[in-house]
Amino acid sequence: MTRPDAPTTRPRRRHWLPRVRKYAGLYLLLLPTLLSMAVFGYYPKVDVLIKSMFRWTPGTVEEFVGISNFVEVFGDPLFWQSFRVVVIMLLANLVKMWPAIIVAIALHRIASDRMRYRLQVLFVVPMVVPGMVWLLVWKSFYDPELGIFNRLLNATGLMSVLAWLDGTADAPGVMPRVAAALRPALDTFVSPVFGGVWAAIALGGVLLIFSVQGRRDARRWWGYALVIVAPMVAQLFGALALSSGGAGILFAVVCLVGWLIALALTLGAGWLVWPLLVMYGMWACGHEPWRLPVLLAIGIGAGELLHAKVDRLSATDLLRRSGLAVVIGGAVLVAFGMIWTRPTEQFAGGTPAWLGNQDLVLPALIIWGFPWVGTVGVLIYLAGLQQISDDVYEAAELDGVGPVGKLFRIELPLIMTQVRINLIFMTIGTLTAYELYLILLGQDGGPGNVGMVPGLYMYRSAFIDLRYGYACALGMVMFVIILLLTVIYQKYVKVEK
Amino acid sequence: MSRRTTPAAEVVKYGIVLAVLVFAFYPLLVTVIISFKTNAQYESNPFFFDALDTWQWHNWAEAWAIVKPYITNSIFVSVTASACTLVMVTLASYVFARYRFPLKNVFYYLIIASMFLPGTAATLVTVFWLIRNLGLVNNLWALVIMGAAGGQVAGIFILRQFIEEIPKELFESAQIDGAGHLRQVWTVVVPLSLPILATLTILDFLGTWNQVMLPLVVLKDESKLTIPVGLLRLEGEYVKQWGQMMAGYAIASIPLLVLFVFTMRWFVRGVTAGAIKG
Repeated sequence: MTRPDAPTTRPRRRHWLPRVRKYAGLYLLLLPTLLSMAVFGYYPKVDVLIKSMFRWTPGTVEEFVGISNFVEVFGDPLFWQSFRVVVIMLLANLVKMWPAIIVAIALHRIASDRMRYRLQVLFVVPMVVPGMVWLLVWKSFYDPELGIFNRLLNATGLMSVLAWLDGTADAPGVMPRVAAALRPALDTFVSPVFGGVWAAIALGGVLLIFSVQGRRDARRWWGYALVIVAPMVAQLFGALALSSGGAGILFAVVCLVGWLIALALTLGAGWLVWPLLVMYGMWACGHEPWRLPVLLAIGIGAGELLHAKVDRLSATDLLRRSGLAVVIGGAVLVAFGMIWTRPTEQFAGGTPAWLGNQDLVLPALIIWGFPWVGTVGVLIYLAGLQQISDDVYEAAELDGVGPVGKLFRIELPLIMTQVRINLIFMTIGTLTAYELYLILLGQDGGPGNVGMVPGLYMYRSAFIDLRYGYACALGMVMFVIILLLTVIYQKYVKVEK
Repeated sequence: MSRRTTPAAEVVKYGIVLAVLVFAFYPLLVTVIISFKTNAQYESNPFFFDALDTWQWHNWAEAWAIVKPYITNSIFVSVTASACTLVMVTLASYVFARYRFPLKNVFYYLIIASMFLPGTAATLVTVFWLIRNLGLVNNLWALVIMGAAGGQVAGIFILRQFIEEIPKELFESAQIDGAGHLRQVWTVVVPLSLPILATLTILDFLGTWNQVMLPLVVLKDESKLTIPVGLLRLEGEYVKQWGQMMAGYAIASIPLLVLFVFTMRWFVRGVTAGAIKG
């Protein structure tokens, strides 16, 4: 049986020429895009990968050196120190997201449509002023003698509050004394039990992972074993690879890739989070390597035990709460116990050098851009809020939900999509950005390299130290980290409808 | 939206929004205030305007003389790059939206994937080297090319979806009238997608305008700098004339503010649309 409209097999040859002509036209229209993407989009990115294996100073040296650049990256203290700055800025940026969310919600709830639009337009203006103008104006604000920032602090009396918090070397102020009071807790409890606050946060991370995934298959035990064993083996391999040169390094790389594949096979879709956690943990437990396997084992054991003994919902809930408690507690300890530990003695004179003093650079970077609504954030959140239907609000009003209740039960949950978008952009931005640091602090990242971020380090390696190949190796490491983070975000920061 | 509110609640909302706006605009206000002062006036009273007869109008004249070439360069780079992007985006989106051809999906996903391959400072190294090999160092065209190539990705992603929504009959009737590809683009795609094209172009323009790092490493001559790099150099001068510097910042902000006033609607809509899609 043949249907009348079924394609009959006709000789194709006759249609060969018109077809080529048709496609040729289409390809011609695409040509500018494809060509420009290939040459200016992909070629530089591929070139980074290639050049990362060269000792390369343009004009003088271009010599293949294999993966020795990467070996150097992993042993480069300044590069890893730069991640400390990134982590601090990431945490700060998490806080700095809130003003935009709150403003958007306030705007959204304004009754008059016309007023709302006018105010909304006003929030575009900071976006339109060139970023460089903001940077330079704020830089001038931070000038110690003439800058507006110090003079505002002096005029409003906030400077004396800061001086009171700070104190002097002989009579420490409030903050150093709080830190001193917390010190015993850190020394007698956190350090012996967890091996430091950072390691405790890693444990919190394990609990949080278990709150979002409870796997049931038998393979997972192999995966957990791989995760726990990895830090110990890594130590061994690191020493071996560095001592035995080329072959050892190759062996280590092969093992690393094998380990990643094995994790992917045994731990399912969410496996990517484990290598990152192990990496963070190795950094956190640097001086006491035996701690990490123990912490991982405890975390995994607790997670599995809860999933086995308690029903799924309450286990998830319990894990999330305890994980968050550990992480937040750790963050509080870091904030109050490890940062402002001794008087900076900058405030009493009334002219603190915000960008010139080691202790003040990071606070200055965090305060920068107050009230932090200069980006697209407000408009994005507002767009999300305007999609919420009125029925939801009416139902809430019938149930007697107050204004604050609406914030937590309606608005925040319903703009999680937008928050997630911003979170991803913010994370990638924080990891890659370096203009801010270059312009405010100079090529060394301020006094004592305290404001050195990975991007700035790359820039300095290339354009100041003229080690282009090394900069490319740094770039590849960053690239892999960013890619991992993006994938994890897509997986984990889900929208709960 | 009309919901029941109380006056007290309205006061709180306006209070929050206005307080944030005041702080957000304060740096701009200060910039304008200082731009009318000498260094001595700035030192004695940084917070507000002095008497009108002591305003240093010449600060603005001097700053204008310095900033003018930067603005010209920036306008050249941003306009040319946005125009190139616009042409490439329209053509490519039309082809991807309307036709099937070998390797279509490979090309499309390669283009889109580059959105998710973040460029780091290391890419700046290889891009700089590429530009050097093309002989474009210290040449504004280097910025145009890079801006156009980088800007098209998001545009293709959005415009392709938009063109797919246009009824096929429109294209077919144009075809029957004997219209070729370019004519179909011009008579069907462009008129129907004008709003979204405007939005894309404005956002693209903004991005190129604010480029810092590439101009910083590529441009050498004082006369070729774009606004961000020019301002940076102005700020780095040894003896700072605060008034002049601030006037320079203010002038540098004006072109985009003017553009914004005329294109407000597309701006707000563009940012909003991008947010909902994502």
